[in-house]
Amino acid sequence: MTNRSGNALLTRFSGLLRLLPLLIVFAVWQVASTVGALPKWLMPSFFAVIASLADLVKSGEIVPHTIASLARAGAGFAIAVVAGILIGVLMARVRAVQLAMEPILMLIYPVPKPALIPLFMVWLGIGNFSKISVIALACLVPIVIATFNGARSVDPMLLWSARARGTSGRRLLWRVVIPSALPQIAAGVRTAIAIAIIVLVSSEFISSDSGLGYLIFSYGGVGAEDAMLAVVLYLAVLGYVFDRLYVASLRKAMAWHAFAH
Amino acid sequence: MHSPIDSRASHARTLAARVVPVGVLLLAWELTARTGVVNPYVFPPVSEIVVRWAALVADTTMLGPLWDTLWRALLGLGMAIVIGVPLGLAMGRIRAAEWFLEPLFSFGFPLPKIALIPLYVSWFGLFSLSKVMLIFTDCLFPVVIFTYHGARGISPVYLWSAQARGTGRVRMFWRVVLPLSLASIYDGVQVAVVVAVLVAVVSEMVSGGSGLGYMMMRAFRYGDVRSAFATLLTISLIGFALYHIAQALRERLLFWHVTEA
Repeated sequence: MTNRSGNALLTRFSGLLRLLPLLIVFAVWQVASTVGALPKWLMPSFFAVIASLADLVKSGEIVPHTIASLARAGAGFAIAVVAGILIGVLMARVRAVQLAMEPILMLIYPVPKPALIPLFMVWLGIGNFSKISVIALACLVPIVIATFNGARSVDPMLLWSARARGTSGRRLLWRVVIPSALPQIAAGVRTAIAIAIIVLVSSEFISSDSGLGYLIFSYGGVGAEDAMLAVVLYLAVLGYVFDRLYVASLRKAMAWHAFAH
Repeated sequence: MHSPIDSRASHARTLAARVVPVGVLLLAWELTARTGVVNPYVFPPVSEIVVRWAALVADTTMLGPLWDTLWRALLGLGMAIVIGVPLGLAMGRIRAAEWFLEPLFSFGFPLPKIALIPLYVSWFGLFSLSKVMLIFTDCLFPVVIFTYHGARGISPVYLWSAQARGTGRVRMFWRVVLPLSLASIYDGVQVAVVVAVLVAVVSEMVSGGSGLGYMMMRAFRYGDVRSAFATLLTISLIGFALYHIAQALRERLLFWHVTEA
């Protein structure tokens, strides 16, 4: 018992130790600003950035923009996860779907997705719908490819033994194919989280009147660099937290996977 | 067993199954646009886009922007390789470098570097330099992270056996560490190639100053949707070409890796 809590303490401590280099960089940044090595017109001091972040949060100004961004990214991402896993599994299990989808994927794959933003705006309007569609399309590609690769390489032994026990159809899919493809699907989804944020920010740069990308761009445009950097920092923390949360929940959800081997 | 004729027939069927879906898609696009169900202004027929593309290439309108995008992307990528590979190798082999740099790179990785466009414009100006620096920053992450994992994952057996033969530090680096990390480094470069084109195009879309991204935005603004589509086609072709060139180069550059290592 004591040993366990001791270990927990140690993990927490090493977690803090991991943050130390980041703190050193922030400290050097602040000192350079204070002694004047880093002039204000080039870069506001670290404390100035933190102060304007505190202002943005305290005044509540950042809240509606956070909600707008998260709603766009979340909607596009959710569509991509559902559709991507469906398409990927179908491709792996149905040969006709694979043959039909592969060349289409090969066409979409090399296109830098943010370049589609103005096109989607012409088609679907400048509102949320076009942004969500581009985010969904951009996130779809890695999820489809990961799911396809995962579902295709399911250990045939598992399939045989499930079939021998009379498992078939939908049950085989839900109980065997998808679970055993899960690690690869999870990696594809993690890539998609990063892509969602990139496409989100690009789309809000190009045309928007709300969202964190809009906020960065409009502060940058009026030369309020401390506020601009505050939102960039906020976005970085947000991205980091989402990634960590995802990895942590994955570890919990896939605890069984270690036992399977 | 199948007779040769059978297998040829099935080969033809596979090929047909690959070509037909794309053909149907393009044909459907063409016919939909021709029948006037959709506004041909926002949804021009494929054939007209291809004709416009050929015209823009023939009268060299496309070549200037193509060159601008390409050299920015490749210069940024090249800088990222020159600086990122030594950094990643140091992180993989030197404890102190790993301790300091690994948290910085893993914190910065999920941050959409595109959000730094306004900051980079104020640091490096509105022209090519800010774009090249942004491409460099964005490409640095995959190059460093893949190199780091490659260098860290080297089996100690190789290092021990080289040490046992009295290999010195410098020789060890050039003859053991670098060659054994190359496959991983190349994985990182292949990811970075795609990133480089994407960031080049997006930064041109957002902050202008020639290049394909700017050309496409301007065409959309002037309502010249055919030229916009044609530019998008060029952007996709660059992505496609660079990805496949990188793939082909891999087989050329790394063939010895297997034999010598």
